[in-house]
Amino acid sequence: MILDLHSHSVRSDDGRAQVENYCQWVRKRALPIDGFVLTEHRQFDFESDYTALAREHGLVILKASEVETDYGHVLVFGVTPALVQAFDFASIRLPLVQVLEEAERHGAVAVPCHPGRTRVGMCAHVEERGPVPGVRMVEVYNGGSRGSEDEAAHALAERFGYQGIGGSDAHIVSHIGRCATRFPGRVQSEAELAEALRAGAFEAMSWKSKG
Amino acid sequence: MEIEGLKRRFLNLDFDERSFEVQKEAMLEFAAACGETAPRYTDPAHADFQAPPTFCARFHGRRMLPGDFPTLGIPLDAGKAVMPQQPIRAGVKLVGKSHLHDIYEKTGRTGRMIFLVSRMELYDEGQALVSIVDSRLVIRERPAA
Repeated sequence: MILDLHSHSVRSDDGRAQVENYCQWVRKRALPIDGFVLTEHRQFDFESDYTALAREHGLVILKASEVETDYGHVLVFGVTPALVQAFDFASIRLPLVQVLEEAERHGAVAVPCHPGRTRVGMCAHVEERGPVPGVRMVEVYNGGSRGSEDEAAHALAERFGYQGIGGSDAHIVSHIGRCATRFPGRVQSEAELAEALRAGAFEAMSWKSKG
Repeated sequence: MEIEGLKRRFLNLDFDERSFEVQKEAMLEFAAACGETAPRYTDPAHADFQAPPTFCARFHGRRMLPGDFPTLGIPLDAGKAVMPQQPIRAGVKLVGKSHLHDIYEKTGRTGRMIFLVSRMELYDEGQALVSIVDSRLVIRERPAA
């Protein structure tokens, strides 16, 4: 199963895509993904229910978050109501250590994303202050990466033995599915996604060079 | 600048009020600029002739921020969102009332940014809410010297 693990809808302040339009794009373009995860900025979207939309298009649509830490942006998979109470998702100054620990405590998985990106990626912060204990994986393919940002992400993963995931970081419809992550089995819920990531059997994928 | 303090002090307080008259010619010009083809937006003789949904984005108050809002930097336009509530007809007079709807911060490639969402609510002469326009401003934090 292939899931785009990083996307934003109009629920994010800078998202310009309706979720339904993502679904239509995936099907119309016959993209090789089975679904996508909505990782809205600095929040977890408890309100939206995409069950009917997912069923209509035969896709898996899951929800997660992208939060902002002292080591850059971090995707959090398997968010629960209790985890949302554990730290302020809206803050832009979260300690990465706290996000990792709370995620672990609540059965979620925290993954630093676009680590090669200036200021909001982990690489530069690691160079400055050293690695952070508890990081197990990073996003090595990001659809919004420029220049050598993905290469820097791969180098970071190789240096510290991190596993890699992929996600498009789509904010507009045509960017969905540019990068993704392949899992050996079915993933149908947020809890299953967190479990699959913890299990460690996955592979980051990118179709960016194919246009 | 502490965001929570700004929110407590400035959110949801009207700081501007301005009247507008919706003219048929302006509606037609706006529809043409948007590339509208539906007769209800392009034909004044149409029974349901009305302004395009985003028409109210053209209205501006006398100021974008409260008069006593602190100078955080140079605000740049970060986009607009229009939430139409009712059809707007030619000749109607509207009153736009503005308040700060949200203040938040985020980080990006260029560093920390503060976003200010100035919301104008437009009412008709019967005090019915006809449209809500959010104008977003972004202020980039100055890099440390």
